[in-house]
Amino acid sequence: MSTRVRLGVLQAAAPLLAIAFGAVVASGIILAIGKDPLEVYGLMLRFNLTRSDSVAAIFLKATPLTFAGLAVALSFRANLWNIGVEGQYAVGAFAAALVAFGVRGLPAPIHLPLAVLAGVAGGAAWALLPIALKLRRGAHEVITSIMMNYIAAALVLFLLADVFRDPTQAGTPRVRTPLFEDSARIPLLRPVLQLVGIGVPDHSALNWFLPLGVVLCLGAAYVLARTRFGYEVRAVALNPDAAETAGIRIARTQFYMFLASGAVAGLVGLSDVLGFFGYFDIDFPKGLGFLGISVALLARNDPIGVVPAALLLAFLDRGAQGVQVFSGVPREVITILQAVIILAIVVGYELVTRYVRAQRKREAESAVSGPSDVSVERGG
Amino acid sequence: MELLAALLNMALLASAVRLTVPILLTALGAVYSERGGVVNIGLEGIMIMGTFFGASVTHLVATALPVPGAEAGATHAIAPVAGMLAAMAAGVLFSLVHAVVAVTFRVNQIISGVVLNMLAVGLARFLNILFFGVATQSPGISGFEPWSVPVLRDVPALAPIATGISPVIPSALVLLGLGHWVLLRTVFGLRLRAVGEHPLAADTLGINVAAMRYAGVLISGALAGLAGGYLSIEQGRGYLEGMTQGRGFIALAAMIFGNWWPLGALGASALFGYFDALSLRVVHTRIPYQFITVLPHIATIFVLAGFMRRAVPPAADGIPYTKEEA
Repeated sequence: MSTRVRLGVLQAAAPLLAIAFGAVVASGIILAIGKDPLEVYGLMLRFNLTRSDSVAAIFLKATPLTFAGLAVALSFRANLWNIGVEGQYAVGAFAAALVAFGVRGLPAPIHLPLAVLAGVAGGAAWALLPIALKLRRGAHEVITSIMMNYIAAALVLFLLADVFRDPTQAGTPRVRTPLFEDSARIPLLRPVLQLVGIGVPDHSALNWFLPLGVVLCLGAAYVLARTRFGYEVRAVALNPDAAETAGIRIARTQFYMFLASGAVAGLVGLSDVLGFFGYFDIDFPKGLGFLGISVALLARNDPIGVVPAALLLAFLDRGAQGVQVFSGVPREVITILQAVIILAIVVGYELVTRYVRAQRKREAESAVSGPSDVSVERGG
Repeated sequence: MELLAALLNMALLASAVRLTVPILLTALGAVYSERGGVVNIGLEGIMIMGTFFGASVTHLVATALPVPGAEAGATHAIAPVAGMLAAMAAGVLFSLVHAVVAVTFRVNQIISGVVLNMLAVGLARFLNILFFGVATQSPGISGFEPWSVPVLRDVPALAPIATGISPVIPSALVLLGLGHWVLLRTVFGLRLRAVGEHPLAADTLGINVAAMRYAGVLISGALAGLAGGYLSIEQGRGYLEGMTQGRGFIALAAMIFGNWWPLGALGASALFGYFDALSLRVVHTRIPYQFITVLPHIATIFVLAGFMRRAVPPAADGIPYTKEEA
């Protein structure tokens, strides 16, 4: 087996090993509470794979995770840390909601895209300050974007509770915006899937944002791999000094990537608000931004890897529900499992990367001093 | 005048002091960690562990050791002490994960911290179910016997601030002074700062970079755990999910605001504690309280951007140190 193939196999195996390691840790916990891990995992697989409502729920749950993972991955690709997806998607979803209930009388083909664009604009707007301050004033984007998360939460709560609260709900404990216009709702996938013979449970909210997320990931992968801008991004990430010498404007590249990250983040909440709820309320899902970090890490910041990574997390999440209901194992075990998998994966990737680098270095050195027929791989 | 009087109200100041303590302790811990060159975004998670273990161990000890002869519900004074120690121990153990992942395996420190925060939420919920059968709340507990300043407590105007003081508050001030002294005046402090500024140079001088960084991270874990224990044992009188309310991040901000030094962290924490107290009190005024709650966050962004003062982190902060293997 050539070195190249061997290293490739090693890199591909890293996530699987990490999942196995996470499963071992979770098994310890499951054993500690007096249950049989194999039985629990078996139950999880059966619950997830043999029920059509589970399969639909996994894909639905993976939808926002795909956008969140892609958003984080895009920033990571440019050596930036967008920890602010959490705030960006809250602002984006609220902006979309504003258009969805505030603008009336538009036909759906105009209203829905307008609402989606408002989400994109909201997310990008919330990313603007951290990146501008980073590039202009050297303020670290991690802390500024975390602070922006809190500001976003307060702002959205204020707008929701004090400015745009549905007047018909006054006097009730329900804090939500007015109902959206039908023309701003995301159509469901069920009718189309039924046409091609795939049955989807009646109550499933699986919608067109899932294919949109996949298309966006493919598009991002294409841009990064095949376009001039993508080349610049890769150059900046690999070696900023060399990139600068080659005439690439680092700041500009980073600026656009961070804004793109925020724009994608603006789409995270839309499957829920425009696709499912039909209003924005105080129980709007939170924490998807942080899950997006997990997705991006699992995917190794590869846009194409984001989709399976989102599906894996969604799979675990759905499985946790089944396990909780049918075997009494608290679903928090799965949360712990997720965190352990992520930790194992980042450690695993780090070790593999280091090993690969050392191997290549050794090869390069032996190529210089040793026999001339050893092929020299390009360093990474 | 009326506004000024309202802003300097003694009850408000007393509440500000109480709200400052957890931020201060955590920020002080962050100073150790970052002076040693390790960014600790996981402080929030460490605090969560502190709140949980602080409350649950206090509860367990209190039920295991009923006070003989006293009326039901009286708690042995040892219970909150055990709780605080457990909170610190939990903080140390939890931060050990960060140290192993970030220092030994040299994984990006931000990733490690973020994962720690996720892990803490799951772990606290899981253990709470295991211990108490519910996910989000522990049984109520009682904390330390509150303490009053002898003469000042008799002055009516000062009573709110001079009475009902938790022993953790003076302890926090002692730890602060100690932190200042350790970091600026001791060999340990010098070495810690050296590995945060220039690990290669420190290594050349024979300082064990990894060991010093472990020490910084573990001290930050102990202090953040203690802060968590204070929140659940002394303020909440029990554990409640989400009771840290992002204070780990605020503490991080206070540390930056305080320019990575203990006394600076005190000033910033006091400011944030004051805003915190204020936001609890303006609920009934016409200013939406959300605007007050975000003031510390906005202030932090301003400081980071250098609009108030230049923020100067330790030179090697956040950069894993790789010893050149020959």
